[in-house]
Amino acid sequence: MNGMEEKRMAADKIGIGMPIFEKLKILSDAAKYDVSCTSSGVDRQGDGTGIGNCHAAGICHSFAADGRCVSLLKILFTNECIFDCKYCVNRSSNDVERTSFTPDEVCTLTIEFYRRNYIEGLFLSSGILKSPNYTMELIYATLYKLRHTYHFQGYIHVKAIPGTDAELIRRIGFLADRMSVNLELPTAESLRLLAPHKTRKNILAPMRLVQNAMAENKQEVALYRNAPHFVPAGQSTQMIIGATPENDYQILNVAESLYQKFGLKRVFYSAYVSVNKDAALPVKYQEGAGGGPPLLREHRLYQADWLLRFYRFEAHELLDEKNPNFNVLLDPKCDWAIRHLEQFPVEVNKAGYEMLLRVPGVGVKSALRIVKARRMGNVKFEDLKRMGVVLKRAVYFLTCNGRMMYPSVKIDEDYITRNLLNVGERLPDSVTGLSYRQLSLFDDQNFTPRTLQNIVAG
Amino acid sequence: MRKVYLCGQTMNGIYSALYDAWKSSRDEEAGIAFTDTVEHQLFCEYVEVVEDRRKGVAVDKLIRDHLGEKAYWDIYHALLSEDAKRADAVFHVLQDARAVKDSKRIMEHLTNPAVGKVFELKRRVANEAHLFLEFIRFRELEGGVMFSEISPRNRVLTCFGDHFGNRFPLENWMIYDKTHKEALLHRARAPWILISGEELDEELTKRVTEREKEFACLWRGFFQAIAIEERRNPSCQRTHLPLHFRKDMLEFDDMGGVEVF
Repeated sequence: MNGMEEKRMAADKIGIGMPIFEKLKILSDAAKYDVSCTSSGVDRQGDGTGIGNCHAAGICHSFAADGRCVSLLKILFTNECIFDCKYCVNRSSNDVERTSFTPDEVCTLTIEFYRRNYIEGLFLSSGILKSPNYTMELIYATLYKLRHTYHFQGYIHVKAIPGTDAELIRRIGFLADRMSVNLELPTAESLRLLAPHKTRKNILAPMRLVQNAMAENKQEVALYRNAPHFVPAGQSTQMIIGATPENDYQILNVAESLYQKFGLKRVFYSAYVSVNKDAALPVKYQEGAGGGPPLLREHRLYQADWLLRFYRFEAHELLDEKNPNFNVLLDPKCDWAIRHLEQFPVEVNKAGYEMLLRVPGVGVKSALRIVKARRMGNVKFEDLKRMGVVLKRAVYFLTCNGRMMYPSVKIDEDYITRNLLNVGERLPDSVTGLSYRQLSLFDDQNFTPRTLQNIVAG
Repeated sequence: MRKVYLCGQTMNGIYSALYDAWKSSRDEEAGIAFTDTVEHQLFCEYVEVVEDRRKGVAVDKLIRDHLGEKAYWDIYHALLSEDAKRADAVFHVLQDARAVKDSKRIMEHLTNPAVGKVFELKRRVANEAHLFLEFIRFRELEGGVMFSEISPRNRVLTCFGDHFGNRFPLENWMIYDKTHKEALLHRARAPWILISGEELDEELTKRVTEREKEFACLWRGFFQAIAIEERRNPSCQRTHLPLHFRKDMLEFDDMGGVEVF
């Protein structure tokens, strides 16, 4: 019996005798706090000998009761863990029911769910059983089986555990589409406080490793077209928001440098959900937050994240030292536009693509459609609607052929702010307080009634 | 006098009408309407179109050659909608494409009303088709066929052929459109085909395997476990997954299509 098999047997013993339904329930429940569930970043046609393909845009297959998409079979391999991260439900000091899948169980679940079109692939994370290497070898065995015995050609997202050997990560990278290492918390200081077994260095090392291996692989693939692809959909990470005292500006800067220096595909933000009681953790949610996770803050960070990745904004344009947190009432793009009214209104038929992108209500696609359509003829307000521009926001910032849509529109900070607030923003339910909590404008830690007065009064 | 070509609602009917209209009225003001929905107007001459597969092939080639592959798919998708003006709009796009310097870029000309209409229809159909790629659920029938039934608003079945054909090349699968009573059929290792006008044996589609029941149960369990109670958000869920899709999705069927928990 070789070493690999022995380990598999050992892992088998943890959950032995437990029906698969129970296991799936425990191990998906334990995995649900991982935010990323995208299946994007790689286009791959099936070769006709197995099952599965991939679409670059990714495909969601369902939406859970919390409104989050279900794209991948998101499970932990095991919820056994030797680490004791304060915020984590699976930490070693918690008394929860522990179990573990076998590689075959994971493969069968993936394949059977996939052929019923329930899922787009597998998201495999894990608690740490015995050691990072031991756990990652089990994961390697699972992925190898899925790819080579079951001929699965769909999407696989795998978590890399900090502290794993480089060689093992490299081997897994050739089986997975996306790999991610969780940054967990925005700063090294917070990490020391809440995740005593993890260090910043330990987390960034595998991230750098994957980045370098991807760059090398790119050259190999350029040389030999059929060379295997290493993590073709790139890597992502996630951090927890609201468990530690960082402000939005710090967080956004961390995200920006991750995009620039580590070439990450995505950074995910996860509003801190209190699952454990611990002296190092916030006792309750931020004061005045209405008792729930800081969802509005998370929402603003995602909005800003999009502005960084697709709208050519930089972190320092959206926030700065004096203004370190997002406006709770306006989305970051509207907020930026109102602070830079000197650049508006923008003429639809003349402005450059970059400037169009910065107009509230204009998106990446609609900006491109405008640029193409105006080569053929003058663009009017009626046309903008068809192109997907959100006029209720854009009217304050755009002219068509030198005219505003309504003559009464003024380029005036108070006037526009008031109108944009009237239009209302479609915020998540839980943020607008329609569901389980009353009011959560006060998600923002620095938000006081005085700031509200300032904002409304201009 | 303005000529209006009358045809049936089928793809073949529309293509034949486009052929006739293009042949004799491409330089005049003309239109296309459907025999069953037409509202007769004064000062119009109505011409009945004779349907012919060869006409369809010719129009297909005409569009691909002159407007390019991308515009071809835009137009194809627009024609899958149920809009009464779809054929008319496409005809005007073909006419107007001649006036544009580069006809292959006609679909970028969104300020043109006909192009705008076709664009809008295409977007509607393509969006619906995309949602079904997400929400289609197969069940394993006795005999091993993977079966799915859906109730789409547009005739989107043909949009799924290549996607699932490539994804499940070794499976026998079938998707049944309850609204239009059509079926998309795929046999292992063979190309997919569209069947219309056949009645479905509903008894047969209810007989599922034992394994099917087991995995359906596992999926429901997973679906409930994956939601975070503290973030519960039914309206966000509804935005992404509108209620009318849920009647054909197993994770919602026993809850009356409303919500889970």
